[in-house]
Amino acid sequence: MNRNMRFTASTSSRFALTVGISLLLGVGLPISSWGQDGPPEGFVKQTAPPVPSAEQIESGKRVYFTKCVWCHGVEGAGDGPGAARLWPRPRNFVSGTFKIRHTASGQLPLVNVDLLQTVTHGLPGSAMPSWEGILTEDQRKDVLAFISTQLVKDRDWQDTEFEDFFVLELDKLQPTPNTPESIKHGAELVQEKKCVECHGQEGRGDGNAFNLKDDWGFSIQPADWHKCWNFRGSRQDPYNVKNIFRTFSTGINGTPMPSFADTTSIADRWDIANYVNSLCERQGEVAAINGVVTDEIATTFTTAQPLAIDPQTDKPKGTFVIPSKFVEGELPTDENGEAWKTAPRIWLALGGQITHKPRNFVNRIDDAWVQSVYNNDHILFMFKWDDRTKSIQEGEVDWDKTEVNLGDYGIEEQQPNGSSFADEQFHPESLAAKQKDGYAVFNDGIAFQFPIKWQELPAPRKPRYFWGDERFAADITKWTADGTLAVYEGTGWDQDFNEIDFQEEVSVVKAEWVNGRWTVIIKRPIKGDYEEVAYLEAGKYIPMVFFAWDGHNGDVGRKMAVSAFYYLVMEPTIPNTTYIYPILMGVGIIVLEGWVLGRRANRRKEKGRA
Amino acid sequence: MTWLKLVEGYMPMQMISELALSVLIFCLVNWTLKRAGMGISSFWAAIGIWAFIVTYLTYRIYPPIPFSVRAIYGTVSACGLFMWVSGSQGAWEEFKRPIFNVMDGISGFHKAIRVVALILIPLGLGGFAFKSFLPSFEEPIELRTVHPAPPATTKVHGKTFVLQTSANPFRVNKEGKYDQAFSNERIVEQSMGRLMKDVNDPNFNPWDPNAEGYTKYVREGGEIFYQNCHFCHGDNLNGRGLWAYAFNPIPANFTDAGTIAQLQETFVFWRVSKGGIGLPGEGFPWASVMPPWEQHLTVDEIWKVVMFEYWHTGYYPRTWD
Repeated sequence: MNRNMRFTASTSSRFALTVGISLLLGVGLPISSWGQDGPPEGFVKQTAPPVPSAEQIESGKRVYFTKCVWCHGVEGAGDGPGAARLWPRPRNFVSGTFKIRHTASGQLPLVNVDLLQTVTHGLPGSAMPSWEGILTEDQRKDVLAFISTQLVKDRDWQDTEFEDFFVLELDKLQPTPNTPESIKHGAELVQEKKCVECHGQEGRGDGNAFNLKDDWGFSIQPADWHKCWNFRGSRQDPYNVKNIFRTFSTGINGTPMPSFADTTSIADRWDIANYVNSLCERQGEVAAINGVVTDEIATTFTTAQPLAIDPQTDKPKGTFVIPSKFVEGELPTDENGEAWKTAPRIWLALGGQITHKPRNFVNRIDDAWVQSVYNNDHILFMFKWDDRTKSIQEGEVDWDKTEVNLGDYGIEEQQPNGSSFADEQFHPESLAAKQKDGYAVFNDGIAFQFPIKWQELPAPRKPRYFWGDERFAADITKWTADGTLAVYEGTGWDQDFNEIDFQEEVSVVKAEWVNGRWTVIIKRPIKGDYEEVAYLEAGKYIPMVFFAWDGHNGDVGRKMAVSAFYYLVMEPTIPNTTYIYPILMGVGIIVLEGWVLGRRANRRKEKGRA
Repeated sequence: MTWLKLVEGYMPMQMISELALSVLIFCLVNWTLKRAGMGISSFWAAIGIWAFIVTYLTYRIYPPIPFSVRAIYGTVSACGLFMWVSGSQGAWEEFKRPIFNVMDGISGFHKAIRVVALILIPLGLGGFAFKSFLPSFEEPIELRTVHPAPPATTKVHGKTFVLQTSANPFRVNKEGKYDQAFSNERIVEQSMGRLMKDVNDPNFNPWDPNAEGYTKYVREGGEIFYQNCHFCHGDNLNGRGLWAYAFNPIPANFTDAGTIAQLQETFVFWRVSKGGIGLPGEGFPWASVMPPWEQHLTVDEIWKVVMFEYWHTGYYPRTWD
């Protein structure tokens, strides 16, 4: 019934549209180019979506005010109470600018396709969750009916005079297979099309990183192609090349990301999508240094297996055990050493430190990779993590490096007083203002902690993840981008560090920032004063926690990224008994078999005789 | 195959009945075949049933049961089958026959099997021994208590709260009196989506400008939630927030019937105020990133956010009586 009503309501406009389309088809088709107003290659013109019924809007209002209003705000201006501490910011619906679409650049999205997919799958890498399984499909469509008719104020899906819908026919277009040739061509095209100016030479989003703003003046950053699970348009299917093709073809409205549909052929778009997709981290690391793809690298790209993605979190599935492999003789002196090939790289999940003040609501380092090898005397940790900016503190700071309570020096967390930010984008407390150029730049850094005297911990007790506690102290190895590497004793989250006399023993084997990625190799003796530092032993589970700082994000002191507890296991070399015993056992069984069969044969012989 | 779905809670009964039914059907079929003169020998029947049980336990049950448990089930069923095949002298002789036939090598075929078995047994067992001797470093399993026993009292911002007698000061009716029945009427509907009952009624919609008392406090609690808590506990309070992937223990899922729905409001107040660091030892205070919210929020804000969590999930707090 509702549907019928909708049709009657829009009959006249539909008629006009039909006429319009026939005209366009009639006039436009014979001509090879669609001209200024026609759809770009791969797009097809569609009519406006149907008008939702009043009941649907009303029922969507109920969904909106239960679930969405908290971040998107009463008027849908993206200024709900939660908005101020979010990055990326919740969508401001008022102007009808939506990022992830199948429609051409600048056009409204398809409500029951694009917006429905966004609500269904969420926007990974942002606070927008997947509402599938929480809201029914009808409820999701209802809330979109409410948003598209009541909250989008500046534009109207039914406004046939101004609104066109050129829809990318993603289902009909066949992707080019990701052959080495396609990937190599794609790698050349991202240079030619200047993608790398923003996304960086190796696609880590490090080009132009802190100067970009969206239509509302909020700081945004180019996507890191190596973390496709964070792509807002991944639709919970991050390794699907179609998502990249779609974003590249439609652009991202409201941001500097343009549509390349008018300037790039479909074949070229697939090549670029294949290349960008191949950069997303795989099970083994495939490095295309400076974005240069040789035949060999391109071939490796085509066979590298994607990481397993956890559907609950939209992040790679992790493990909490870090195996360190034994190396006979000398340890590698850089990241290319042969020994690294024996040690698996482990994905470290890092979240914002949100336990104690100043909390880090806008955490820019959400993961890191670690590998570890050891020999009889030393252990190496190689960290690799993406950071769009190389940050080294300029000038002196007022506090000592052992101090942790930096509140007195003005290091504070983001205030929650959000709703005024929409009216005043550069409110001094807003993230936008701070990210523009207001932040003092501190040092990038990485640190890890072990318990001191972990051998004596009454299991499962550990020193608190946050720099130990009163009863059990932590041994914290911290490297900062100014070149400082030090080992401290931590006795609690608010207790200043104590320097441990171990400085001479630890060293930075390598620390380099290239194309949006830090590679830091830290060397530590396995043994030290048992009472003072963590005395590492092979074959044991040694609890470990990781910390990371992004200086351009204002990270310093407790404002940082932090991991859960991991376990370092220095895998012992396999003892000879492991080989000897099974062989002995096999021999024993053979003897036993002979004995049994012999007895059996004897018995049969006896029987036969009898 | 939805009709074959294992239902949470009924899983053990379902598993036993499915196994029993399969074995029963097999016995019936075999009995019929035997009467027709083409039954399977008890040797192969026993091996077949045992292999079926092990396969069933390995692949049918989800989430998978650990190897150690499967090994116990496998041993028990092997014992049962052994009892079956050795029930009478005749049955035992019948069961043994194929084994002895191979050992004696009564035909060329049996001899071939004997040679293969003689080689495979030491190789297989040796390989198994090698595998168990190899050092393996699986993630250790550490069990923590999710809802530890609460203390009798808790001191927050200098004020002592007795958990048994304290009440949420914002759970009040229009007269300003504590009234759980009044607030319970105003929580979201316990149906799919858990939506507020009426968006146009200030009694039910916290965002209505005319909302007052309980309903208005729910909005204030929600504001605090979406400024502080959703990062871990999620926009839908289901423990799947922005940073949930990075933390272990994972954030609590309030929409699950086993969390706040099982607890008194004062228990939640205590947990929120004192956070992970305030847990007793069995709750692993060293690993939890839950903030002690007294460091960030006032007493009133904590009460409001607790009330919002009940409102938004549609659960009633448990009461003492």
